[in-house]
Amino acid sequence: MMKMKTQVKIVAVLGLALIAGLSSCKKDEDLVDTPQPTYNEPEVITTMTLTFVDDAGVQPNVTATFRDPDGDGGLGADIFDTIRLQNNTVYSCTITLLNETVTPAEDMTTEVLAEAAEHLFCLSPAGADINIVRTDSDGTYEIGQTSQWTVGAVGNGTTLITLKHQPGGIKDGTCAPGETDIEVNFVTEVQ
Amino acid sequence: MQQLTQILGSFLIVLFSVPAIAQADCDFILSGYVKDAHNDQPLPDSKVHIRELNITVEADANGFYSISGLCVGEYLVFCKHIGCDAIKDTILIDQNITRDFFPEHHVEFNEVKVEADKDEDLSLKPERLTQRELNESRGLTLGEGLAKMNGVNQFTTGNNISKPVIHGMHSNRILILNNGVRQEGQQWGNEHAPEIDPFIAGDLSVVKGANCVRYGPDAIAGVILVNPRELKKTPGVSGELNLVGFSNGRQGNVSATIDGNSSKLPALRWRAQGTLRRGGNVHAPDHILKNTGVYEYNFSGAVGWFKPKYGFDVFYSQFNTEIGIFSASHFGNLTDLQNAYEADRPLELDDFTYEIARPRQEIEHELFKAQGYWITGDRSRLTFTYARQFNRRQEFDKHISPNATEEELNTPALQFNLTTHTGEISWNHNRINNFKGSAGISGLHQGNTYRGRFFIPNFRKMGGGIFWLEQWKPEKSKLAIEAGARFDYIYQRIYMWVDDVIYSPEQHFMNGSGSVGASYKFNKKFIARANIGSAWRPPNVNELYSNGLHHAASAIERGDSTLVTEKALNFTVSFEYKGDRLNFLIDGYYNIIDDFIYLRPTQENVLTIKGAYPLFQTTQADAHLRGTDITIGYDLSDSWNITSKASVLRAWNLSQNDHLILMPADRFENSLEYRFKDSNKLANAYASVTVVSVLKQTRVPENGDFAPPPEGYTLLNASIGMDIPVKNQFITVGLSANNILNVRYRDYMNRFRYFTDEMGTNISLRVKVPFTLIQAKSIHE
Repeated sequence: MMKMKTQVKIVAVLGLALIAGLSSCKKDEDLVDTPQPTYNEPEVITTMTLTFVDDAGVQPNVTATFRDPDGDGGLGADIFDTIRLQNNTVYSCTITLLNETVTPAEDMTTEVLAEAAEHLFCLSPAGADINIVRTDSDGTYEIGQTSQWTVGAVGNGTTLITLKHQPGGIKDGTCAPGETDIEVNFVTEVQ
Repeated sequence: MQQLTQILGSFLIVLFSVPAIAQADCDFILSGYVKDAHNDQPLPDSKVHIRELNITVEADANGFYSISGLCVGEYLVFCKHIGCDAIKDTILIDQNITRDFFPEHHVEFNEVKVEADKDEDLSLKPERLTQRELNESRGLTLGEGLAKMNGVNQFTTGNNISKPVIHGMHSNRILILNNGVRQEGQQWGNEHAPEIDPFIAGDLSVVKGANCVRYGPDAIAGVILVNPRELKKTPGVSGELNLVGFSNGRQGNVSATIDGNSSKLPALRWRAQGTLRRGGNVHAPDHILKNTGVYEYNFSGAVGWFKPKYGFDVFYSQFNTEIGIFSASHFGNLTDLQNAYEADRPLELDDFTYEIARPRQEIEHELFKAQGYWITGDRSRLTFTYARQFNRRQEFDKHISPNATEEELNTPALQFNLTTHTGEISWNHNRINNFKGSAGISGLHQGNTYRGRFFIPNFRKMGGGIFWLEQWKPEKSKLAIEAGARFDYIYQRIYMWVDDVIYSPEQHFMNGSGSVGASYKFNKKFIARANIGSAWRPPNVNELYSNGLHHAASAIERGDSTLVTEKALNFTVSFEYKGDRLNFLIDGYYNIIDDFIYLRPTQENVLTIKGAYPLFQTTQADAHLRGTDITIGYDLSDSWNITSKASVLRAWNLSQNDHLILMPADRFENSLEYRFKDSNKLANAYASVTVVSVLKQTRVPENGDFAPPPEGYTLLNASIGMDIPVKNQFITVGLSANNILNVRYRDYMNRFRYFTDEMGTNISLRVKVPFTLIQAKSIHE
């Protein structure tokens, strides 16, 4: 009987020791670090702006912006402009990319151009009477960061702007290979 | 393994006999007593067996046995008593030898023992891989090996990541006990496979059904038990070398185990073990899958001090793996995914290489365990267990800036560090007044931190549980009844930044769970079982707080911080028949789950700069999962056997009135086997052909997926294996071929089903060589 009691005591002590051992670390921060408040996201593109300049210098400049404040994160776009161009006009278009998750905003266009041989902008109008040709080159293939838009008759449609990342020598001048970094389909009105 | 093979070999499998070497002196006698190790009482009905001669004798009422007519030579002798571990000894017969055996009555120390009949009267009987299935699974991942069991499927991400699925459920709904310790890794993720070296396992078994009371409340679908063999009990140093090669991916595995026990200090037992595994790009029938290599190195060590009254052991293991993630599985956006789906073959191809490039995962898992036991009285045992686990998971994204510095190149885009301490005290008692059972308390303390891209927040978790489980079964009764209850409390605290302010809510969960069950043994051949079990699990941190693009799934996934506990009620029945020729095992189950947590497609898109992504919202619904697993085997003759397996599951979302997503399709397996007669050159030799048919999964929710499920498929597999006696050991050799016809197919349970075929023909060769470094001294005088 004596033996049994001793055993019960030992078990109780060990049990308490275990519970104490597992719950002794009262201070949360001791075990789990508070996460870092900011994290250097791998380069995120949040904003794409298209700037149109009339080659004849007659029509006013036009801009259209798409902004997705957290890049491809869980939040959707907060700015999504319509492209409004004048009929029978030839525009030069320049694409600007920004990372606005950091202050001041980081110019991502230069990042893309630094790897021009791995990137291709694809500009595909649909519905509207617009003809687009790329006007820049990485030495072998076009890039599409600058382009010439020949706008014809009045009408509405869309223009799909895609930025393809084509690393490792897979760039072949077409839009097929690689992975999509940007895909925005702008509503386009020719007035 | 050698020990296991021999024990199984001698008591379960038909034996072969080596013709006695013709010698003049064939008139010696081996005799002695078999007595209880603790109280010296004779143990009648014990069996003594000589392997080489295939002779078995039974001890008489006084525990006395005698075998006469023995020739001079060294013999491997087994002594076996019901409820005890078999004793194995090499005995030199050069005169009349007297040898007493002292089998040790063991109280359930580990949950799983070599003898299958121990679990016979449990209402939820663990199903284990047979020795042969275990041999055939060498070199496979844990998930692939377990999928040899009927009713266990795999949820895969390509060829290197495989998660076990029991009755349609996986991840946090399955509890894995690695060496008796709950595996605490990053099991919540679909592409996070269990971090365990399957070569450690001497025994792999699965309890299908809510078997929570003993192991933890979250075993909603079941429990997987990965147990090493027991440490060496006989003096000497011996080991085992496993070599496995696969043709597909040119993968090679080397695994070695060394076991030791000193004759001077018989209480001291130890083991060292290590595994190396390397594979390159695998190929589908008509193309190579880029970046699908694997590199893995694992090791473990154990030391124990075992006395009849008390004992303790420490165990340490480390698992390290580097896995290439199929390159063409990473997409920029949904259009890319659509293009990949429509393409006949992946858009990125490559030649064979062992090199692992981005994207890739690197995972490390450490387990330290200390366990002690203490015999309390005649029939009970106290066991103390403490374990620490550390899990580090690193994910390297596909792209990185070409100007990246060395440091940036070595920094993962995402890293989780998870440290877990668990402790348990349990008390097991053997039959006292028709009752046997166990009771205990357990505790857990866990901390998770991340670095890199946000996917789940840092958190801290504490839990405690108390359980009691009893089984009632009088000595001669055909009926056994068991019941158990458990209560758990879980505390969780999250740390995350919301708009530059630290946000750290606390959560508390507590609940009871229980089970009742019975088994009825109609006769020696037929037994029926029924069990009702309840289970629950708190929502996981990712289900509560994840928010963002899941790159691998091309979907935006949103957690819900208001989720409540998921609760399950699980009914199972099973009928097992083991006749002379016919045997079958039929399981039926019905799982009622309240507040089943899942990702529901919202039919909404989130417009991002990469285009629109479908939004999936974590939500809860009431669900029913029911099905059956049937295995029927029939011996056509002494040599020929046919076995058929069927596994069928129906899963229904009651709240949405629709099917549940990602449930395994109906699966049928038919195999024909030829067993060769044992001879002195060959033992346990077999050749088998298996046809696996998986139907198309037509029961899927509407609009819940990017693409319709792939078509069904039929595969032809074949396998041969044998044990070749060399001296006192067996070298086990096996050759298997999977997908012999090189069929192009895709499986619904592979996350890469949208854009690549499964592996083509894969031929594997396995060799297992037991070896002895220090010969045990035989006891003879």
